[in-house]
Amino acid sequence: MSNMECTHCNLSFPKDVMIEEDNDLYFCCKGCQGVYHLLKDDGLDSFYDKKGKEKLSAPLAVNEDASNFDLDSFKQIYIKTTADGFSSIDLVIEGIHCSACIWLNEKVLNDEAGIVEVNINFSNHKAKIVWDEDTIKLSHIIDRIRAIGYNAYPYKTGTKNEINVNKKRDYFSKLSVAIFASMNIMMIDVAKYTGYLTSMSDDAKFMIHVAEMIFASPVLFYSGIIFFKGGYFGLKNKIINMDFLIAFGAVLTYIYSWYVLVSGSGHSYFDSVAMIITFVLVGKYLEVIGKKNANDTIDTIKSSIPYEATRIKDNEKEIVSVEQIEIGDTIEVKNGQKACVDGKLISTYASFDQSSISGESIDVVKQKGDTIYSSTINTSDVIVYEATTTYANSTFNSIIELLENSLNTKPKIQDITNELSKNFSLIILLLSIATFTGWYIYNGDFENALIVSISVIVIACPCALALATPIASLIGISWMSKKGLLLKDAKLIETFNDIDTIVLDKTGTITHGVLEVVNMSNKTLTKEQLNILYTLVDSSTHLVSVAVKKYLNKNFENLEFINIKDIKQIAGLGINASYDNKILYGGKSQNTENKYTNFEFKINDIVIVRFDLQDTIKEDATQLIEYFKSQNIEVFICSGDNEYVVKDISSKINIKNFKANMKPEDKYDFINQLKKENKKVAMVGDGVNDTLALSKADISISMASGSDISINVSDVIILNNSLKSLMNSFYISKRTYKFIKQNLFISLIYNALTIPIAMAGYVVPLFAALSMSLSSLLVVGNSFRIKRNLNKKDI
Amino acid sequence: MSGILWLELIVGTLISFSLLGLMLWAVKGGQFDDGKKQMNGLLFDSTEDLQDAINKENKIKELKAKKQKNNNLD
Repeated sequence: MSNMECTHCNLSFPKDVMIEEDNDLYFCCKGCQGVYHLLKDDGLDSFYDKKGKEKLSAPLAVNEDASNFDLDSFKQIYIKTTADGFSSIDLVIEGIHCSACIWLNEKVLNDEAGIVEVNINFSNHKAKIVWDEDTIKLSHIIDRIRAIGYNAYPYKTGTKNEINVNKKRDYFSKLSVAIFASMNIMMIDVAKYTGYLTSMSDDAKFMIHVAEMIFASPVLFYSGIIFFKGGYFGLKNKIINMDFLIAFGAVLTYIYSWYVLVSGSGHSYFDSVAMIITFVLVGKYLEVIGKKNANDTIDTIKSSIPYEATRIKDNEKEIVSVEQIEIGDTIEVKNGQKACVDGKLISTYASFDQSSISGESIDVVKQKGDTIYSSTINTSDVIVYEATTTYANSTFNSIIELLENSLNTKPKIQDITNELSKNFSLIILLLSIATFTGWYIYNGDFENALIVSISVIVIACPCALALATPIASLIGISWMSKKGLLLKDAKLIETFNDIDTIVLDKTGTITHGVLEVVNMSNKTLTKEQLNILYTLVDSSTHLVSVAVKKYLNKNFENLEFINIKDIKQIAGLGINASYDNKILYGGKSQNTENKYTNFEFKINDIVIVRFDLQDTIKEDATQLIEYFKSQNIEVFICSGDNEYVVKDISSKINIKNFKANMKPEDKYDFINQLKKENKKVAMVGDGVNDTLALSKADISISMASGSDISINVSDVIILNNSLKSLMNSFYISKRTYKFIKQNLFISLIYNALTIPIAMAGYVVPLFAALSMSLSSLLVVGNSFRIKRNLNKKDI
Repeated sequence: MSGILWLELIVGTLISFSLLGLMLWAVKGGQFDDGKKQMNGLLFDSTEDLQDAINKENKIKELKAKKQKNNNLD
């Protein structure tokens, strides 16, 4: 069967599953069909010309009532009033793929009466909407966005965001001036250097110097002000920093060039002043963009947290902002809504989509008393739960805070590098002074001595050295986050490299923590017996019953429910029931402890069948252990389970070192003992029982599905609970560290080679600036190789 | 000859700095905040979009006038 492209979203599907219309229109779903006709009816079908072959995701079907956007509690938090008296809101638009999507949203909203301004940013999908509250309601605006297959979430624009936006604009202005002036100077330079060869008149030379001065001055005093400020703050803290060197070198060159301009003798270097500032400013601008992008990412994640919740107090429901929720409050969550804070389920049953926390797409079934995590979506009917945290301490908010901290901390090696570049700057300044003195004494030529010393300063600018660690760390950490790993602190990249021992928890780490039938003692059950058993296990939601039911469904056909009576759950044992005057029992076997969990099915006390169940090992466990062995990392399994079970699991994945019956304090003591043996230990766990051990390890790694406490004490969080991600964390960190070392080597070698050449007077300041920039580019380019090779390996 | 060159330099510098000033004004106003959108926006320029822009300007003027009137009444 041939595939067809959906007329709206361009995604391909087999022709027979598509909705066909008029023989030439094909839709993959009702949503696409609806949006297509809506756009056509509103005369917006030029959207498809603009979109071209760009593939969209299917339109978002949002069933939520937008009237919440008109509530006073919402307005107080998210809506601002402009100077003209209009209302303004900042939103993140979900579902944007291309420029045509932006065009469509802006066009649809601009066509609405009462909309004053709509501005959607292509890069971060943030939108600013200004409207007249007297003419149109915000809920209507949101409904229009949803009608065309997109969705909008509000976010709070803090001062941090404003600072970043203004800083980006400021740097962009400064860079624009610098590039504009440098390009003009380069053109004038053509005339200048050609003139040197063709004996230019003094008048013409003077005019060229004046023109260069006109263009170089704004670069130094407007664009270069950043370096003056940086240098000043450095001096205030008794540090000779990179900014000081740049400012010092540029000012010296500028003063000397003025001297040449006025005296009419020698060569001016206004071009060098502009170039030095411009080249270094490009790097600074990229840094500002990086910080702004990180902030945008965090804003987008934050916007996915619900902004209000339904609280039940004294049997009355009230809508409150999430910040108002207190521990112990009863909260109602409707189908499709997100939980705003963590809590314990009060309803008897619920199912939640926890993908925002764990990356796991399968819904998780919850029973009364189970933990509900913030930002997870209720996929069952209306449920109520009791808040056990405030919004600020909720799991999702903690993850965002961790992400923010991770982006703001520097690896230890970077601290060392910064220290190094501070001392390095001082050494270079001294070398430059020595070069000037040496040359002046040697040939008595002030101009020559000054230019050579300036070249030394510029060529030795430790930009590459300062960039070596942060750029590689940034790439490594961002790659980790794409692989479902959250690194609390960038300093850990270095620690990963030193790890020689890893201790793994069993349940939830090596195994799924879900039981599976591995053996059925009697497969010749009658049809009636099978149906009785099937109905019996269906009546319980216990993990063992669920596993047996799953096994029966998989291995037997035409199973039917029958009318069994007197079903009783016996806590910790199983289920009792009756059928046709027979006494039924399904539950724990009275057998002795072995490596399996058992389930027996008895009729009138006669065992009909027995099932052996076992926790399943995660698919990539063996691959993970092989990887650790290849890296000479010693692996231990520590578990609170009995020896049979732990031994069996260990042997299946080829681990010789295992510890069974370990209590939390035993695990802690074990890690302590390993550390006393001078081992660098990483601990991977997920439960409260692992928390003590996690806090003691050099690196603690936790699964996102684990307990809040274990996540809090961990350095690394594996968001998708996959062992492959655990392997990736080691692989990426080690690789990033390797590139940091390479970068440091490149920058140091560069300086070792170029400084003597500059001191010997073979480099003019302009080429020094070029060469310095090239070294920075080399370091940046080398860092990008981290990602390239990871793609190839597809880890 | 030299006089002409000086004149060219002065006029050229004034024009180029004026254009630069115009650009800085646009940057401060946020017009360059989203480079990608601007570049792609060029592809969507049509008479229909120009007409939309005029309609939008008129709509904003009307809304502002209405708001001003309401504020004065209050």
